[in-house]
Amino acid sequence: MHISELPVGAEFVVGRVLSGREVGKRLVDMGFTEGADGKVLRKAFLSGPLHVEIRGYEVILRRSEAAMIEVRERSKDAVPHV
Amino acid sequence: MSENTGRLVRIALAGNPNAGKTSLFNALTGAHHKVGNYPGVTVEKREGSRARGDKEYRFLDLPGIYSLTAYSLDEVVTRDCLLDEPPDLILDVLDSTNLERHLFLCLQFQELGIPVVGALNMSDEAKAKGIEVDGTALGKLLGIPMARTVATNGQGLDALLDLVDASVSGNAVDGRSLDYGSEIEALLGPIEKAIAEDADFASRHPPRWLAVKLVEKDEDAFARLEAHREAGKVAVLAKKASDWIGRHFGKDSEIVISEQRYAYIHGACLEAVKRKEKGAPSLSERIDRVVMHPVFALPFFIFVLWGIFQLTFSIGAWPMAWLEAFFGWLSAQVAAIVPMGPLHSLLIDGVIAGVGSVLSFVPLIIILFFLLSVLEDTGYLSRAAFATDRILHGFGLHGQSIFPLMLGFGCSVPAIMSARTLKSPRDRILTVLAIPFMSCGAKLPVHVLFAAAFFPKNPAAAVLAVYGTGVVLALVSSLVLRNTILRGEPTPFVMELPPWRAPTLRGLLWHVGEKTATYARKAGTVILAASILIWAVTNFPAYSPTATERQSAAATWSKAHPGADQAALDRGVAAALAGKALSASAAGSFGHLIEPLIRPLGFDWRVGIATVTGFAAKEVVVSTFGILYGVGTDDGGSTSLRAKLAADPSWSPLAAISLMLFVLLIPPCFAALATLRAELGWSWLGFSIAFQLAIGWLVAFAVFQVGTRLGFS
Repeated sequence: MHISELPVGAEFVVGRVLSGREVGKRLVDMGFTEGADGKVLRKAFLSGPLHVEIRGYEVILRRSEAAMIEVRERSKDAVPHV
Repeated sequence: MSENTGRLVRIALAGNPNAGKTSLFNALTGAHHKVGNYPGVTVEKREGSRARGDKEYRFLDLPGIYSLTAYSLDEVVTRDCLLDEPPDLILDVLDSTNLERHLFLCLQFQELGIPVVGALNMSDEAKAKGIEVDGTALGKLLGIPMARTVATNGQGLDALLDLVDASVSGNAVDGRSLDYGSEIEALLGPIEKAIAEDADFASRHPPRWLAVKLVEKDEDAFARLEAHREAGKVAVLAKKASDWIGRHFGKDSEIVISEQRYAYIHGACLEAVKRKEKGAPSLSERIDRVVMHPVFALPFFIFVLWGIFQLTFSIGAWPMAWLEAFFGWLSAQVAAIVPMGPLHSLLIDGVIAGVGSVLSFVPLIIILFFLLSVLEDTGYLSRAAFATDRILHGFGLHGQSIFPLMLGFGCSVPAIMSARTLKSPRDRILTVLAIPFMSCGAKLPVHVLFAAAFFPKNPAAAVLAVYGTGVVLALVSSLVLRNTILRGEPTPFVMELPPWRAPTLRGLLWHVGEKTATYARKAGTVILAASILIWAVTNFPAYSPTATERQSAAATWSKAHPGADQAALDRGVAAALAGKALSASAAGSFGHLIEPLIRPLGFDWRVGIATVTGFAAKEVVVSTFGILYGVGTDDGGSTSLRAKLAADPSWSPLAAISLMLFVLLIPPCFAALATLRAELGWSWLGFSIAFQLAIGWLVAFAVFQVGTRLGFS
């Protein structure tokens, strides 16, 4: 599952980042590592960028970049990782 | 470079963007700093110093970066700087509200083997957010001494410098460093050892750091390895290690290394950082609900933009008028001292008029930069990228291209300079090349003149059509360039979104001062030279009318203005002769020479001259027509010029549209071209000039020829 498939407000846990080429490495360096917690804050109109919280700070990224990150939705009552 | 008198401490100031690094640099160095560029690149280099006790600290402000990979220019500059001229110490500025990501870079600095001290900055903001950082505990856990600071008010600087002193004298570092876990450490050990075998190489390349980078498959690290005595052997070891990690962990080794770093940091933060549960949504989030609304973010952005231009031009009109008055006064003073002749003309029509017209734009630029700095310092720029990326990405541009492009409507010089915010060279080149298509403020008087003369019923619509054509051409040409000479994978769009922050006046003034100085310096050098050159080609070869020519000009003028007095007659004759003089000058000859080339666009030799003079500044096109039509330069934009143009049978509404597009699209003024060269180099300057000339000619040709065929002339 990818971030763009989650509804706004959903909390997620990062699974794996596909490929370590430039984009993947950049994503991991920005904190999208396996097990990191995040939240979908908003999704721009007409497949525009996503606004996401990761490791307690906020990033914006395109859906094409977000498609490099596998995530799973975290149920609301699960124990937070961070 | 490593000579140390014992009193001088060389410190590299480093950290992530948005950590308050610039504020800390300013707090540490006060006014004692100088700004330049790193050799060969447009990354800004700031240096400053501070004296304390018997010590002198020299600070080098490195660019804000997220990691030490070789993917961005800023990262490469930082890395080269730290490896090739190692400082005595790295002072890493950390945002206390976002420690995990900031420590990610900090620990990479530690691997360089240079002492690192951490400034836990924005500790006031962290406190307000309920984040409690135990600096001493964190410092012990990571082996990096830490002190809390608030750069905006200078709090904590002395404690920080005490830690710097202790670290430099070797009393603070306890040798701890990041542990990648036993499996990876077992692979790194032999690589480090193999690197260290070439002692001379190892003294310039920290073995630990290089070993990790090689395992991360960093191309620049492999290039550096070439200098090693047994480069091949080390490379094989490193490749084996990456492959093993890739197989064992089931993902690329560079990802595994970064994940291990984050895991280590996460562990340390669990012990040393306490976080209270978040309550109600923060003010920042509430602002974003409006400003970053999924649908209304774009209209809001357009509104902000409109506001900026309104403010800039309405406030700017005052100081602009003062400066123009000042230069008018100055030329009157000079005129009184210097006798008539070539020197008189050079000083007044060349130097003062040229530099004066450019300097009168300085107030506009100051205001524009001030407002943009407000947007930048508050954090709106990243939000604007969010709003516009969808559209710009479709044309091969980047969300961050929006501000340089929009600035282009004001002045290309700051616009081209502001493209520095784009980190990928390809995006920056593409953005800079698109800027000349945005009709700048100096082209507006030309549009207004021709629109008023030939579209008296609806001049605004004609001007707007020209602006719109420029925008469409900017987007289309970007798309074309992106798919031809600037082809490549799209640059990732992963941007940090800093929380909204109130800008400080000191920070704003500092930004503005720095940028304005760069512009003014250019006006003083390149533009001065260009003004003199253009003055020369419009005044030489000198024209001296014969008595008969003078008489015939007087007779023509008297016939057209019966009953005028002698003074009016003299002015009229002088104006008529000025047009003749310009026609006989080198610029005039050039105009006549290129007439066959511009004929098909609907122009005669006069436009050829205006093309040359427009190089000084585009608004000069108007005064050139003023001279050529014998109305004098004083009232170039006045109704008389408009009436003369409208009455001239060689013009038509179609030719006027063609001219407006031609002026918009041909290469910009000298100042803009000089800036373009400074930012991208000679070859891109050459490309841009050829590209704009080709498009300008083709568009004007197409409009005029198709229009004529359709019977619009």
